[in-house]
Amino acid sequence: MSASSDEAFVLAVLDALKEVRLEAIMVGSVAGLLQGCPVTTQDLDLLVRDTKANRTKIRALGRCLGGRPHLIADPSPTLRIDLPAATLDLLFDQISGGLTFQALRARSLTLSLGGRTARVACLEDIIASKEAAGRPKDLAQLPILRDTLRVKKALQKPGG
Amino acid sequence: MGRTRSPRRPATVSAADLVKQKLRIGRLLPDIDPGDLDLILSGLARPFGSGRRFFLREIKPGVRIF
Repeated sequence: MSASSDEAFVLAVLDALKEVRLEAIMVGSVAGLLQGCPVTTQDLDLLVRDTKANRTKIRALGRCLGGRPHLIADPSPTLRIDLPAATLDLLFDQISGGLTFQALRARSLTLSLGGRTARVACLEDIIASKEAAGRPKDLAQLPILRDTLRVKKALQKPGG
Repeated sequence: MGRTRSPRRPATVSAADLVKQKLRIGRLLPDIDPGDLDLILSGLARPFGSGRRFFLREIKPGVRIF
């Protein structure tokens, strides 16, 4: 098997996070698709703690990946790094639904991806955040995300 | 269009297993559309690194492909 360019991008981000020692949780649609949801997306969303040290690490992350973090829109604090393969968004402290870094981390999964380790928000939290965000693109994904969660649970039952 | 597609990769779950899963889960969750169930089971069967593509790219304003 060989990774697609999209999968290679995820691995490159994981390598860069490790390089700059930035703790991040993958959230958003990529977190869903890493858990098997058949969805597509425009960007990779990472949730980090908003600290001075992390702000420095994010600048280093940009250098590592070959991009420069910039605010996507004032007053949103989200930073974006535009890269040839995809867009990387860095969210701070919490995501829609009041889901904090600490709470998401406590329920997150640790996935092994191409020999790297990724911390990924659980599917239940991804669904809750998209319900709370309520944008058309979030609402459009909800049925397939919810059904994927139901199928995963059904497969885990004996005989699945 | 000059775009390179990722080659299809073998899934870790065989086609026969997928059919069995679809029958079983289809009975447990009959309200899920069979087409959606196909997509979901296929997505769950494809491990990371199997050549899956998921990022949409804007080729011109308002037009996205992946």
